[in-house]
Amino acid sequence: MKAFTWVEPEDLQSAIAAGAQRGALFKAGGVDVGDRLKEHIDEPATLVNLRRLQGLDFVDVDGGALRLGPLVTLATIADDARIRKAAPALADAAAAAATPQIRNVATLGGNIAQRPRCWYFRKEDFHCRRKGGTTCFAIDGQNEMHAVFDNDLCAIVHPSGTATALTALGASLLLRGPGGERTVAIDDFFVRPERDVMRENVLQPGELIVEVRVPIRQAAYVKLMEKQSFDWPLAEAAVAPGAEPRVVLGAAAPVPWRAPKAEALIKGRKIDEQLAVQAAKAAIEGARPLQRNEYKIALLQTAVKRALLAAGGVA
Amino acid sequence: MYGAIAMSDQTKLTRRGFVKGAGVAASAAALLEGATKERPPARFGPGAVSISLNVNGEERRLQVEPRATLVSVLRDQLHLTGTKIGCDRGACGACTVMVGDTPVASCMTFALDAVGKPVMTIEGLARGDQLAPIQAAFVAHDALQCGFCTPGMVMSCHALLLKNASPSEEDVRRAVSGNTCRCGTYPKVFEAALTAARTPPSRAGVAQGELPPPGAPSKADAWGNRSPVEGGTAETDAGKAQDKGEGTNERSFVVGLPGALAPKERKVPPGEPQPWDGSARLRVVGQPTPRIDGPEKVTGRARYSFDVQLPGMLYAAVARSPHAHARIKSVDVSAAQTMPGVAATYVVERVLGPAKLKLKSAARGKYPLVRYEGQPVAAVAAQTQAQAEDAARAIRIDIEVLPHVADIDDARKPGAPLVFPGPVEQAGTAGGGGAAKDVPQEGNVRGPVVAERGGDIERAFAESPVRLEQEYRTEVQTHSAIETHGVVADWRHDGVTLYASTQGIHSVQDEIATLFKLPKSKVRVISEFTGGGFGAKFGAGNYGAIALHLSKKAKRPVRLFLDRRAEHLAVGNRPSSIQQIRIGAAKDGELLALQLTAHGSAGCAAGAGCAGPVKNLYPARVMRSEENDVFLHTGPAAAFRAPGHPQGAFGLEQAIDELAEKLGIDPLALRDRNDQHPARREERRVGAQKFRWAEARARKSSGTLKRGVGFAQGLWYNFDRSPSSAEVLIHDDGSIECRSGVADIGGGIRTACAQVVAEVLGVSPNEVDVRIGDTALPQGPPSGGSQTTQMLTPAVRLAAERAKREALGLDATSDVRAAARKLGRAVRGYASRARDYDGWQDDDKFTATIGGGQFVEVEVDTETGIVRVVRAVAVHDCGRPVNRLAIESQINGGIIQGVSYALHERRTIDLQTGKMVNADLEHYRIAGARDVPKIEAVILEHFRGRTNTDVSGIGEPATVPTCAAIANAVAHAIGARVRSLPLTPARVLAALKGVPA
Repeated sequence: MKAFTWVEPEDLQSAIAAGAQRGALFKAGGVDVGDRLKEHIDEPATLVNLRRLQGLDFVDVDGGALRLGPLVTLATIADDARIRKAAPALADAAAAAATPQIRNVATLGGNIAQRPRCWYFRKEDFHCRRKGGTTCFAIDGQNEMHAVFDNDLCAIVHPSGTATALTALGASLLLRGPGGERTVAIDDFFVRPERDVMRENVLQPGELIVEVRVPIRQAAYVKLMEKQSFDWPLAEAAVAPGAEPRVVLGAAAPVPWRAPKAEALIKGRKIDEQLAVQAAKAAIEGARPLQRNEYKIALLQTAVKRALLAAGGVA
Repeated sequence: MYGAIAMSDQTKLTRRGFVKGAGVAASAAALLEGATKERPPARFGPGAVSISLNVNGEERRLQVEPRATLVSVLRDQLHLTGTKIGCDRGACGACTVMVGDTPVASCMTFALDAVGKPVMTIEGLARGDQLAPIQAAFVAHDALQCGFCTPGMVMSCHALLLKNASPSEEDVRRAVSGNTCRCGTYPKVFEAALTAARTPPSRAGVAQGELPPPGAPSKADAWGNRSPVEGGTAETDAGKAQDKGEGTNERSFVVGLPGALAPKERKVPPGEPQPWDGSARLRVVGQPTPRIDGPEKVTGRARYSFDVQLPGMLYAAVARSPHAHARIKSVDVSAAQTMPGVAATYVVERVLGPAKLKLKSAARGKYPLVRYEGQPVAAVAAQTQAQAEDAARAIRIDIEVLPHVADIDDARKPGAPLVFPGPVEQAGTAGGGGAAKDVPQEGNVRGPVVAERGGDIERAFAESPVRLEQEYRTEVQTHSAIETHGVVADWRHDGVTLYASTQGIHSVQDEIATLFKLPKSKVRVISEFTGGGFGAKFGAGNYGAIALHLSKKAKRPVRLFLDRRAEHLAVGNRPSSIQQIRIGAAKDGELLALQLTAHGSAGCAAGAGCAGPVKNLYPARVMRSEENDVFLHTGPAAAFRAPGHPQGAFGLEQAIDELAEKLGIDPLALRDRNDQHPARREERRVGAQKFRWAEARARKSSGTLKRGVGFAQGLWYNFDRSPSSAEVLIHDDGSIECRSGVADIGGGIRTACAQVVAEVLGVSPNEVDVRIGDTALPQGPPSGGSQTTQMLTPAVRLAAERAKREALGLDATSDVRAAARKLGRAVRGYASRARDYDGWQDDDKFTATIGGGQFVEVEVDTETGIVRVVRAVAVHDCGRPVNRLAIESQINGGIIQGVSYALHERRTIDLQTGKMVNADLEHYRIAGARDVPKIEAVILEHFRGRTNTDVSGIGEPATVPTCAAIANAVAHAIGARVRSLPLTPARVLAALKGVPA
C-alpha cells in the first residue's frame, strides 16, 4: 500500500470539500478501499475518512419508506428488527454478504459504491478497459464468474448484493456533492459500460450518498453460492411483485440487471408456480454467455423463480 | 450465562484526542482555513503520527503511518502476536479482534480507525492464568490442530456468546463462517462453543492446569475399545515378560484386528521393551487426551515462527516475476537501496523447487530463467514491512517475456513452448514427492513411468467378458496453510539460526548447510509451532535462502514471510491429473485387468504421478500403470497430503463404482469380491452398519433436491524410514522432560510424546514437559508421510523405559520422581528408534499399508448444480491409537479438506498471460464452517506388532477417499456422473443435461 495522507473531517461539508480534491478517495468502512490500496489498484494522495461523521448511520421508518444513512453497517441491516420487518429482501442481501467480521464494518454506502471484484480488475498486472486500458481480459479469458448480459465491452458483474435488492425495491439515493444535493433513482445510479466503462455509478468527485430511501413493499432476495461460508454469488435475484413489479438479476451484468419481460409477465398478478417458471424463463431472455459461464443462465433462472415464489408467498 | 464482560463501545473521538502533538497537521489545517468556509479537516501523515490505542484495557501511545493496519500495529509495535495474518484481505478471519463489542478483521481495519474504541485481542481474553470458558472448551474438545487460526476462531466464538447466550449449532456455524481453518477443526469448534455457552458463570475461568482428565468422555467411537482379546489369550507369556529380556530376540505378541487377535512370533531388537500389543491394557495411551499445548494455542501465546520478533529484526519483501516465462536481462536495486529504512538487497542467483536439467544449459544467463509467475527475482530488507514493500516495488527488473504454456492439453501439442530444453530430474522431500529417475522425456512430457504385474494387459482385456474405459480429471489444489511459508533468519559469525515455518527442521538444516557451505553444527533451526504444512513445508525454500543472504549482508536478523499470493504461486501445490482407466472383469466382478494411463502436471516440477491406488488397492490379475509428467510454466508442485492418492482414488474408486453399476452389483459387494485386506474389509463392514448403507442406498428422493450416498476407500503406506531419537529426563526435583527435534504441524506430537512418557513413568501427560522443534535436540522424524507419531513414539517409549530403569535401579515398585529426588541428580534415558522388527519385510503383506473407507451422503440441487455434503462416516485404521481426540480431529480435517477439494478448489490461470487469477482466499474457495458435513469418525485398532508402540499414521489416509466418495454419491443422487474435479455447479448441470463439461 502506498503511503497517503489521512483526512479526518468533522462534518459532511468539509468531507465533501476534501473528497473533491484531486487525488482524494473517500473511505467509510474501509474494506473495499483497503483492498484496492493493498492491490495498488488505487494510490490516492489523500484518504478522506467518513467513518467518524456523525448522524449518517440513522435507521428511520416513516410512513411507506425506510430511510437509511450511508454509514449503517451491513450487520445492522441484517440484524435490525425494524429493517428486517420493513425490507426483508434488503436484510437478506446484507446478511448473505461477506463474513461476519466484514459485515460489522462494511457500510451500506460503501457496499453500493464498491468497485467490481472481477479477478482481472483486482490484479494490478491487468491494465484492463475499466482501468483505462484497451482490453477486457475476461471476455476471452477466465470468465466463469462474469457477466452474461451487457458483456461486450467489459464483463464485470456488479458486486453489490444490496444494490440488487435495492433495485428491486425501487430505492432512491440522496446524493450530496460540491454542487449541492440531488436525488437519483437507483435505476439511474449505476452506469453501464457503453456509457462509461471506467465507472460503475454516477457519483462525481466529492459526491457522497447521504441517504438511501427504500419504499416498503413486498420483495424477496435469493443468492446462489458455490459454497455457503462466505462466497460471491454465482447468481442472484431480487423481485418485487405488484402493480409496478420489478425483477432484478444480480451477478449477471455490470449493473443490477432488470428483466422487463419478466416484469411485464407478472404485473399485477398473483405469483404461482407456473407463472414463476414462465417469468424466470423470460428473465434470462437475451442473455449472451461467454465461453465459461453458460451455466449461470440456469442459476439465474432458478434464482428468479425462487425469489418470485418467496415474494409471492408460494414457497 | 457466558462469563465475560461486554465492553461498551465508543469513547468518542475528539479532534483533540486524536491529534497528539501533530504540529504538521495543525499547520496544514491553518492553510486550508483560508480557502474554505467549512472547518478544515485534520490531516495526518503520510508519515507516522502519534495516536493512542486502548488495547486490552491499556492506553498505548504509538507512532503509526496512516496506512498501517490494526493488525500490523498490534503485532509489530505492541508485540501482541496472538493475532495472526492469514490472507491479509479479510477473507480468512485469522486476524479477528474485538473492536468495541464486535469482531472485525484487523487486517482490513486501519489503526487510525481504532482510535477511541476499546480493542481486545486474544491476549486480553484470559484473566491471568484463568482461561475464559470458551478457551477452556476449545482445549477440552480439541477444537484446534495446528492452532494458527485458533485465536481468530476463539474471538469469533467469544463475540457470538456475548450476543447469544444459548446458540444453536447453526448459530455457531454462522458466527465462524468468516474463519478459515485449513486443518478442518470445525466440528470440534462447534462442540466447544456449545459447551462454553452451557458453562455456568461460577465455572467461568478454568485454571489452565485443571483440564479434563485423560479419559474424559469423547465422541470417539468405542469400536476399537472392545476387550482386546475376545475369547483369546488375554495375557500371553511374552506379555508378562515385558521388562525382562533385553538380551532375547524372539518374542511372541498379539496382533490383528479386534475380534481376530492372534499371537505371533517376531524378532525384536535387543534392548527393546515388549511391544504394546493387542493384549496390552494401557492407562494413558489410547485415551482421548486434551493437548498439553492447547492452552498456549488458545491464548495466543504459542509462538509460531511467524511470531518470532528478535531485537533489531528487519523485514523482507521479495520482487517476483509477474510473467510465467521470461528471461531477465537486468536487475537494478540501486533505487531500492536508497529508500527509507532499507538495510540490504539481494538478487536471486539460484531457484529451488523446479526440476533440474541433467545437463546444464550452455548459454546460462546471469539470472535464472523464469519458469513460473511469482518466481523470486530479488529482495530487500528494511526496518518495517511497509518500507520493505515500498523498496521491493522500486527494484527495476528488465525482462524479456517468452511464450508460455499453462494448460495441460496445450502443453502436449507439438510446437508448444518448452518448459525445459532437455531431460530433467526431481528429488523428493521428506514429505514425499519427487520423480522416478531416468525416464524418457519428449517435448513437455516426461514419461511414462511404467509399473506392471501379472502379464500382458491387452490379452487380459481381450479375454475379459466385461470392459470399462473412462477418463477422469482433477485440477491443481494449493496447500493454503493459514501460516504462509517463511523464516526469521539470523546470521552470526558463530553460526546461523533460522526460525522456520516447517514440517522438518532437519530438512531446513540440511538445505541451508549445503547452500551456504556451512557445517550442520553451525546451522540451528527452530520451529516451536507450525501453522499447517500439508506436505509443502520441507527444506529451506527460496525464502529461507533469501532471508539468510539478507541477514548476512545486513548483519541483523531478517524476517521473510510470504504473502498469500506468493503462497499460492511459489511454494507448492497438488498436481493435476488426467487419468484413462480401463478395467476388464469377469461377470462375477473379479478384476482381470486394470490399466491406468495418467498425465498430470506438477508445473515446472516433476512428480505428478497418481498410480498408487491402481497399483495397490485391488489385486487385479493383470495390472499396468503409466504415469507421465507434463511440464507447464506454473509454480512447482510439492508433496501434498498423500501425494497422488486423492487424485488416483478419484479415478479408480469412481471406475470401480461404474463397474459395479455395469454389473448390477452393490459397490461394496464388488469391493468385497476383490479386496481381501482384512482392515479394509472390516472398515467396509463397520462403516456400512453405522451409515445404514443398504437403507440409504435404496432411498429414493423426489423433487429438485436429490440425495445420494457413495463410498470410496484408500490406502497409504506404513513408512519406517526416517531416523528418530528422543531423550527423557527426570530432573533431581522430580520434574519430567521429553525432548526431540520434531515439528508439530497440528497432529499433536507433543501430547503423544507426553502420553507415552506418562504411561511408562506412571504420571499424567500434563506432568511431562515436551520440548520439540529445535535441531539442538535429539533428531526427531520429519512431520510428514503420516509417520511422525509412528516413528517417534517407539524412541520416546524406549528412552522413558531407560530413564525409569536408571532412576529405579532394581526397585521397580517405587515412584520415579521420588527416586530421582533421592538420587540427587537428573537421570536421562536416550533412545534412537531401533529398527522395526523386519518392518516392510513382514510376511503379512497387509501390514505394509494403512487406510480407510468413507461413506458420504450428498444433497444435489438439480436446478442449480450446487452440491452439499450432508454427512460422512469414516472408518480408519491407524495401528494403536495414541490420542483419540487428536485422531478424530485429523479424520475430521481430512474429510473437510476432501470436501473442499471435491467441490471447490482449483487454481485458475489466465491462459493468455499464464497468471493465476485466484491467488487469494476469496476466489480460491476453501470449504468453511457452513460447508462442513456431520462427521462420524470411527477408529479401527489394527495391531501389527511393528514397533514397541505399534502406532500407525492417520494424517494422510483420512483425506484420500473423500473426493471419490462424494463423486460416487453425486452420481447416485442424480444418475449421471461428473468425472472432473471440482464438482462445480457448471459441471453438475452439464452432467444432468448429458453433455460433457
